[in-house]
Parts: sequence; structure tokens; C-alpha cells
Amino acid sequence: MDVRSQVSMVFHLDKCIGCHTCSIACKNIWTDRKGTEYMWWNNVETKPGTGYPTKWEDQEAYRGGWTLGPDGQLRLRSTDKRRTVTNIFHNPSMPSMDDYYEPWTYDYSNLFDAPEGADQPVARPVSMVTGEPIEVKAGPNWDDDLGGSPVYAANDPNLDALSPEQRLQMQSIERLVFFYLPRICNHCLNPSCVASCPSGALYKRGEDGIVLLDQTRCRGWRACVAACPYKKTYYNWQTGKSEKCILCFPRLETGQAPACFHSCVGRIRYLGVLLYDADKIPAVARSRDEDLIDAQRDMILDPHDPAVVEAALRNGIDPSVVDAAQRSPVYRFVKTWGIALPPHIEFRTLPMLFYVPPLLPVMSAKKDGAVRNASDDLFADVEDARAPIAYLARLLGAGNEGKVRAALRKQWAVRLHRRATTVGDVDRATADRALRETGCTAEEADEIYRLTALCTFEDRFVIPPMHREEAIEMLEDPHVWKQETGFGFRAGPKREF
Amino acid sequence: MRTRVAAALVTVLSLAAAAGEARADGDADDFKTSCANCHTIGGGRLVGPDLKDVEKRKDRAWLVGFVTDPTGVLASGDPYAQKLLAEANRVPMTPIAGMNAKRAGQLLDLVAAESKLEKSRFAGGAVPDRAFDAKNVPVGRDLYTGAAGLKGDGPACIGCHRVGDTGALGGGRLAPDLTDAVARLGGRKALSAWLSAPPTPTMKRLFPFEKALDPEREILPLVDFLQDAAARHAPSERAPARVAFVLLALGLAGALLVGMEIAWRRRFRGVRETLVKEPS
Repeated sequence: MDVRSQVSMVFHLDKCIGCHTCSIACKNIWTDRKGTEYMWWNNVETKPGTGYPTKWEDQEAYRGGWTLGPDGQLRLRSTDKRRTVTNIFHNPSMPSMDDYYEPWTYDYSNLFDAPEGADQPVARPVSMVTGEPIEVKAGPNWDDDLGGSPVYAANDPNLDALSPEQRLQMQSIERLVFFYLPRICNHCLNPSCVASCPSGALYKRGEDGIVLLDQTRCRGWRACVAACPYKKTYYNWQTGKSEKCILCFPRLETGQAPACFHSCVGRIRYLGVLLYDADKIPAVARSRDEDLIDAQRDMILDPHDPAVVEAALRNGIDPSVVDAAQRSPVYRFVKTWGIALPPHIEFRTLPMLFYVPPLLPVMSAKKDGAVRNASDDLFADVEDARAPIAYLARLLGAGNEGKVRAALRKQWAVRLHRRATTVGDVDRATADRALRETGCTAEEADEIYRLTALCTFEDRFVIPPMHREEAIEMLEDPHVWKQETGFGFRAGPKREF
Repeated sequence: MRTRVAAALVTVLSLAAAAGEARADGDADDFKTSCANCHTIGGGRLVGPDLKDVEKRKDRAWLVGFVTDPTGVLASGDPYAQKLLAEANRVPMTPIAGMNAKRAGQLLDLVAAESKLEKSRFAGGAVPDRAFDAKNVPVGRDLYTGAAGLKGDGPACIGCHRVGDTGALGGGRLAPDLTDAVARLGGRKALSAWLSAPPTPTMKRLFPFEKALDPEREILPLVDFLQDAAARHAPSERAPARVAFVLLALGLAGALLVGMEIAWRRRFRGVRETLVKEPS
């Protein structure tokens, strides 16, 4: 047992209001530099929709992530040792600017400087690439709130899981459904970006599992851009290096939540440590599609188990980190309650960001000027919810509907239970039956309710002490490091040719 | 005292005489490297006219002007210069690097002096010459294509010139076509003389005096090869080679593109554009 710690995340999709505050917080801190205009380390997508970059989930086109070869071995879809050499000057699976979007700003000065005339002056959109006025045709959230549905929502790759009839039904007015999917780097356990890099510039940090990209080693081959199935590494055309989400590690190291977590209006984001068994990674990543979720959950270890704690301490994990793992909200969502699921785990990178699937129960139609609910029961069964389970299963369950159904049922039982407790419009027997059916106790339901609805800052973010003073020991004597800090030359990344 | 003065006088005079002789030698070397490749003095015409008694045909001022700037005089439409150009198969006189009025005057002095001699040393006797020898054609071809190296390590002709359809792509396009060089330069002897010290700026740098071609083993086989090529290739059949070259280049480029298209047929081609193009 090779116990390691990983800073992991849970996004509760039922709480997301799609306000993009997280994206803006991230943009302001990290990607407001020249060359990063088009990058959104954090972006929020409307589902069903094609997302950013357009149709990123379609790996037949983008060829990201891993695939299981006939010999049972994992292979990168985008490249391999041989193709790294033959394709090094032309990577055939590279998204272009058109698949992201051409970044633009507005000519605001015209609002003040325009000569007096009959018309109101306007701020024309100006391309941030060419500096010329452009007609904006795409953006990172172009299909926000089902904007352009016939094109974008209709082309969501996850809809492939549905029959044509279901697809049609999903777009009919009373079943019309959308929810938001905020996305950051998943800081995967088996990252394909790290595996693909010809320069060895990408690495997974030992102490907390954050996947980082060394700007001094990056040579700009962009193999990671092609290899990441979530398209969460980006190429900076100004510096000639690639960049990605760093999970705000400078903030984490000082005990603060990452900017997108901190700023989240809906409080949908949870962050905590998971202990996992690194020996199991190869076997887990090679599981069959339907077993992937269970295999990944098995790999995550119980931080209360004395054997795990002992192995963790033996592996050099600090007791304070083990303590943080024991209080981790992520562990409870993913492992104890089993209601948080990894996105597209069939890409086999083993993402360590989990989503609580959204309950979308209310279904109503307007008839003769009055709004009518499809069912009088406000909390009808999850099978009748507007978002087909097959769709959510394709997004969050590698096609495994059982896992999604269980997660939704448990949330549904919690709602019935709380309704019976606080409002009383659901009778206790119904609520108890629902809890029994999902194998959830009343105490557990209350805990889920509390961590979902009443969570404080400290509940949501259990940030382990990063112990940088110990991490630096691996590289240098901490006293020498302390004395030398601030001396020498350090230049920012830039093109050297 | 007087003997000393006389001795000094003798020394000065002999020094002056030596200087005069040295000057004459310098002029002769100058004539040899700058003029003799196209002109003789009393040896008949090579590429350019025989210079014997040239000042009886035209006055010195005109001659100095022409020698210092032949291109300018030819461009000015001077009738005598045009006549000379016509006589030389329209091969214009090459401007000589560093030529000025003083040097031109010295060279004309030398020509005048040599013209008075019974037999000038520049009568063309040093120019390698003999009748066409078919046995030497393959030797010349090897020198031309570079299959056999040149003695002075100069580059092979095929790099810049072409002769008929010799070589893989018919040779280079950078320099003039040499297929009719023998006729253009006015015969074997003229071409041999020209090759022994090429006067044009590029050739002069590639084949300076110390890298000069060997008269017997290089110049004559090359001339034989060129004469043979001129006989076998009529001027009319040369044009299509250029068209074929362009067509071949286009064909190869097309084949390369098709090959790339096949090799990378599964490449990512962008998804957004295809989405929004679909009729909605």
C-alpha cells in the first residue's frame, strides 16, 4: 500500500447558478496577461451544450485521454513514443483558435471620444489577436443558458446516449432542461497531459497531487493540449509555453481556498484531502468502463482506518495532513455517501474533481394560460426528472446509470426526509421508506443536508497544511533556502527564438 | 666627390629604369589576367577583336572611356560600340573590376608597344587549342557533371549551368545555358581563352588565377563536350525542358500534398465551424 495524499474537489451541481463569478475570479488572478486572453482555466458550461472548446467531450475528434488497447494496456489517444517524433512539428490532433474562440475586447474609448453626431456612439468589438474590429461569432460560453440550442445544445456529445425519441422529448418545452457544469483542471491521478509531454515539463506534485507545468522546461510542443481530454491545458502564444490551472497553490500554501472556490456565490465548491493507494492506479485505470467508478472509489482509502494512517505516516505524510483527510468534505461526498461522481471517467485519467449530479424534478407545462405540473407530486421519482438518467450517466458515470440513479435517489431521499421534518407536507412514512430504499439513515441524511445547505467556510474548505518547509528539504537545506530567498535572477517565461 | 655623385645618379637612373620595367611587367600581368581571355595582339579575333594597332582604328579618349565603362558606353547607343557588339555575337565586353582611366592608359600603352613588335607575346600562342576530339567528350562530361573533380577544387559547372539535357534535371538555372557556348563566344579557341581566365564577376571569384582550369586536362575536354552538345541539341528542343521542369515541380508538390493528406487523414479539422455551417 503506497498511501499518498491528493487535494480533491467536489462541485455540487444542484447549487450552481451559472453566474461565472468563479471564471472571473480566476481570470483576474491568472489569465489577464498577453497571450492568455482566450484561456479560461475555470469555465462554466451550460449542459446540454457543446462547451469550451466546442465539443471537447468528443474524443473521436479531439483524441484526448487514454484508450484501452487490445492487449489490455493503456495508450494515449493523441500520441505515443513513435508518433511524438514523427508528429513533433505537426501535431495532427491540435484544436485551433476557431474551436476555442477569437478573444475580443471593446473599443470603449469611442464612447468618450466619438465626435458629436446624430447616433449614439458604440463600443465596437475588437479582436485581441489582430487588433482589428471583428464580428464576434463564438465565445467561451456562447451557448450559455441554451443560447443557440439548435446548433450547440443539439450537438452535445452526451446526447448520443439517448434514443432519437428521447432527444426530441428533451427539447420539448415541458422537459426542456439545462444545468451548469463549472470546470477546472481535474488534477487527475493518471494524467494524460503529463504522460504526453516530450520535454517532461508537466508533473504531479508529490505532497498534494496538484498537476503543474514547469514554465522553464516547457518547450511549447503542445502535446499536453492535444492529450488532455478535458482540454484544460492551454498554449500561451505570447510566451510560447503551455499553461494550466495550478489550483491556486500559492493560496493553498497559505491556507486560503483557491480563488474560484473562495468566490463561489452558490457555495457549490468543496475542497479537501483524499488519501489513496497509488499502487492501484495502473489496475484501476485499466478497469472496464462500468467498473471504473467503483474501482476509483476503492482506491480512495479510509483516513480513519488505523492501518491506512500508519501507512500514510510511514510514507512521510504529515499527521496534520492525515487529520485534514479525516475531516475532508470530499471524502464524505465521494466515499461515505457516494453521491459525487467523476466526470467522464471513461477517459481513464482518473479525475479527482467530483460532481454531485443535479436533481431537476419539477416538470410543468403551460396549458390554457395556466401552469400545470406534469405530476401533482412535487418530488416524483428521479426517473421522471427532466434530465434523462442516461444523459447524466454519460456525463458523470461512464454510461453507468446505476451509479447516477443511486446518487440522485439518495439526494431525493434527503429532500423527502427534510421536507417531512421541517415542512410536514411529506409524511414521515414516505420519507423513511425513501431513506430505507437508498440505504441512508436519518443521521446521514441530516449530515448530507447540513453539508449541502448549511455549510460554513470551514466545512467546505478543509485545506491541509502544505508544510513547504518540509517539502523544500527534498531540494535544499531549508536554512540555506531561507537565506538565499530573494537573491539571483529570475525571468518570466518568454520565447527564446 | 664627383664619382659619388655619378654613382648616385647611376643608382637613381637604374632605379627609375627598374621601376619602368616593373611597371611594364605589372601592365603585362594586368593584360594577361584582364584582357587576354578575350583579346590577342596580332593573333586574330577571340571573343573580342584583335587589339593590334587599335589606336589606328579609334582615338585613345574613346578607348579609355570604353575600357573603363563598357556597359555605360554600350547603353549610350554609341554606333562604334554597337558595331563591336554585333561582331562579338552580342557578347558584351565584361566590365573589369577596379578599372580607371590611368590603368586603361597604361594598358593602351602596352598594346601600342606590343603592336610595334614583330611577334607580340600576346599573339594567342598560350591559348590551348586543337581540333575536336570525340574521345575527350566523356571526360568533359564528367568534369561538367562533377563526376570528376576539378583540379583547383572549383565547383562543377552543372551546379549553375545547363547543357542540353545532361544531368538529372538538366542542370542549374542560375547561370546562362551553355549548350551553344562555342558558337556564342566565337569558336573553340575563343572559348578556351575565355575559360583559362574567366572575366565575369561570378566566374572570376569561383576560378581565380590560383584555381585556374588546367588547359590540357580540363579546358580542352570541356570545350569538346560543349561542341558535341551543341551539335546534338538543336536550339528548338531546349525550351520544353524548362516547361517540363516546372511541371515536374508542380507534380512533385502535388504528390507531397496528397501524401500528407493521406498520412494525416485522421487529423483534427475543427468542430465548431462544421457545427455552425450546418443548416439549423
